[in-house]
Amino acid sequence: MIDAFDEFLNYITTVGPLKLLRIFWFFVYFEFARFFVFELAVVVVWKLREPARKILYSNARRRLFIERPLVSIIVPGKNEGLHIYKLANSLKEQTYSNFEFIVIDDGSDDDTERICKSLQKNGLIDLFLRNDVRGGKASAANLGYRFSKGKIIVHLDADCSYDNDAIEKIIIPFYLDDNVGAVGGNILVRNYRENLCTTLQAIEYSDTISVGRITSSALGIYRVVSGAFGAFTREALDRVGGWDIGPGLDGDITVKLRKLKYRIVFEPEAICQTSVPNSFKKLIKQRLRWDKSIIRFRVRKHRDVFYPNETFSFSNFISSAENITYNLLLNIKWWIYLFDMAINYTSLLKFIFPFNILLYTANNFLKFIIFSLFRNRKNAPVIYFIPYLPCMVIYFGFYLRFVRTVAYIQEFFFKRSYKDAWNPQKSSAHAKELGI
Amino acid sequence: MDTTAVKNKFEFNNNVLSFFNKSFYYLESFSTLKIDTLNKYDAIILDARDVEFARIILKKFRSHSNLDFYLKPIFLINTKPNNDPLLKELVDGNIVSFDQIPETINDINQISIKTAQLESSNSNSFEIQLFKKVLNFMFTRETNTFTPHPDINSSIGYCYPTISVNFETFEEAKVLELLEWAEKENLIWPDFLDRVYLCSNCKNGHLSYREICPNCDSANMRSEDLVHHFPCGYIGAISDFKNNVDTVLNCPKCSKNLRHIGVDYDKPSIINHCQNCNEVFQDYLVKAKCAHCKTDTDVQFLVSKNINVYKLTKKGRTAAVGGISAADFALSDEIFGTVNLKTFATMMHYEQERIKSNAALSANIVIFYIENIFDLYRKIGKSKERELLAEFVNIVRDGITPADFICINNPSVLSVCMNDVALNDAQLMVMKITDKLEELVYNNFEGFALNVVTQTVELSKEQSFDKQLHTLIKEIVEKG
Repeated sequence: MIDAFDEFLNYITTVGPLKLLRIFWFFVYFEFARFFVFELAVVVVWKLREPARKILYSNARRRLFIERPLVSIIVPGKNEGLHIYKLANSLKEQTYSNFEFIVIDDGSDDDTERICKSLQKNGLIDLFLRNDVRGGKASAANLGYRFSKGKIIVHLDADCSYDNDAIEKIIIPFYLDDNVGAVGGNILVRNYRENLCTTLQAIEYSDTISVGRITSSALGIYRVVSGAFGAFTREALDRVGGWDIGPGLDGDITVKLRKLKYRIVFEPEAICQTSVPNSFKKLIKQRLRWDKSIIRFRVRKHRDVFYPNETFSFSNFISSAENITYNLLLNIKWWIYLFDMAINYTSLLKFIFPFNILLYTANNFLKFIIFSLFRNRKNAPVIYFIPYLPCMVIYFGFYLRFVRTVAYIQEFFFKRSYKDAWNPQKSSAHAKELGI
Repeated sequence: MDTTAVKNKFEFNNNVLSFFNKSFYYLESFSTLKIDTLNKYDAIILDARDVEFARIILKKFRSHSNLDFYLKPIFLINTKPNNDPLLKELVDGNIVSFDQIPETINDINQISIKTAQLESSNSNSFEIQLFKKVLNFMFTRETNTFTPHPDINSSIGYCYPTISVNFETFEEAKVLELLEWAEKENLIWPDFLDRVYLCSNCKNGHLSYREICPNCDSANMRSEDLVHHFPCGYIGAISDFKNNVDTVLNCPKCSKNLRHIGVDYDKPSIINHCQNCNEVFQDYLVKAKCAHCKTDTDVQFLVSKNINVYKLTKKGRTAAVGGISAADFALSDEIFGTVNLKTFATMMHYEQERIKSNAALSANIVIFYIENIFDLYRKIGKSKERELLAEFVNIVRDGITPADFICINNPSVLSVCMNDVALNDAQLMVMKITDKLEELVYNNFEGFALNVVTQTVELSKEQSFDKQLHTLIKEIVEKG
């Protein structure tokens, strides 16, 4: 083995950088260049502008507290009764208090109705609405939005918890720029210590999702306001008519708002903690649903962002193109890379793979440690995650890529998202028929 | 009434009919009413052409505290069909003409025989006094069931005629209290019939149930179906989907027509809009407004009472003749500053020994007999008994020295031992206390005139205390 490795090292030193680039092109061009060098450049600039941003932020906060607009917090869900009490209590602690708390029960068949009615009676919920027949998450959110009164609508998930200044933080960006139509909150993993699966997701959230969203927001191409913690102006929601049916409604509404030229921003200081799937099997189910939405919404429903028409916007074009490129196309390219290596470098495969893993692992360490310098809020000390970082190569490079590939095939060829039990068939059937 | 035929068979003079040594008084209008003299007749023939008149008269008799009145056989004549439970249950029969009077003789004799079997007994509480009276009536009429009747006149919607007749219709809840007491004393046995909900403030059952806005309590609200349009996920009130041109429902989000419920839309719930404060809600509050005291109560706070059919137990049947032996009243234990009769007797023995040892010492026994206390309880409700007695005791306590002691013999009799006070002074103190007691009731219970009879005597060194007390109470009750 040592001989073989010596032989490989000898080979790469002999062939020179161009040849190496030929062998590790996937890593160099995409992984390292896009997800490390480029993101690092952006977050450095973002960090450098922080003092100026702080002044603007402070002014915006002052404006917010002078105006004190009514904020409607809507929480749609099914069988979420047990989480609602905790959520209601955590909202009582919020630094911003001028809000109405609306819970929408989407046809629960457990004690949710009884619990929520009791909470409403005791003043912990301002408005409890219930659909006896399940209509899906979009319709539940729309019901809450329809009967809300606030100038700003904050959409939360019942099973999440929020920093006591989270509501204040997520609505301040509306006072930084009048054109902001939606703000996405920063989501941390609450159960990161539970097992390997949740720890790896915590690394993914803090690394890819959190820093990734800071970058995309800074570049004006932020594309998913999370349903777990997102805020919208009423005017913006009125213009898009609320949420369309999912799965993938978070990304969908963000694109709809972007098409109306609203600015969509990410607020890393608005912290929400969520419990992520605690088994790889559950995670597959979640990610299949998420990944299918790229095909359904970006490639199909909102393909018009690529058309040079009157609503064309370069940032929307980049936002969708980047998303499709780095998720869909890169995934395809990754398989191409595998075939390329298998065909052209068959004899070197035994060296290429370990070296790739080494490169990716080194990159992961570098990214995680460097990017952690830019994160103000962390789940746990960086040191806690260090031992798990080597697993990220398998998790991200193989496991998630494989799931993503399956999702794309399922959606592209079979439109499986319309059969997802996450949404009731009565509405999915219509969505499929209308191609939305 | 044609009295010609009557005269042929009966002696009829000034509304009095005589037949086989029985005298009947024919009561046909208020002008012939001489209530005080009616107890000397064997029976009353009550003309029921005017139902309200018959009802009033019947109530006067059956609610009377004198046994000669409330057990008086009463027959209705000229009865018209009616649903009044009092007229059905509290009369001894219906006749269509005076020719049927001979048929009543047997009933009158039976009632008379039964009445003669009744033993007199001293009652020591409001419940016992009233319930004994009801049991007497049932015994003489050979019934053993209290059957509730739906009654529009009753404040709880039901009445138990034999008991309810003793109360005003607006205080029907007191009938339930009395029945609950009797059930607790094992005099009657309940069999569930219905349940009523009463105002938490005044125990009235005439309630107006209203669906109201949880925000402003207004009943002025509008309900609408919620409509969920499947293709676009819009959900809102049906008015969102209506237009001013035609009856077609259009989705406000995607502008499509709604065509087929269950296929492209459904109605998953309803929504209420308050027209007063614009609040939107799905679950309204239900409140009940009392027609009597106007209190608006959340339905969960209404007083729930079972309406039972009650049957006399063996103890109840025995009590009908011999009197009620109820569980001991522990009023002395409950009312601060008083001792029970047993302790009082013991202390009085010591007192006798004390005054025997020194000729300079003396003690007086005072008896306060509140003659019409049960009329007051009937008016204010049994639940106030303890509060009222506590107030009485406070007044008595304020008027005597700290070394004196008070005993509640029963709710109508208080005994007080006043030590080392001259009899004249004691009598003066008692007079002042009596005035205060009467004033308290007069001022707080709509001018009710409390009748307090008192007796103040020196404690005898020779005669046993028990005997002295017994004689004193007997005298005072007779005096009252």
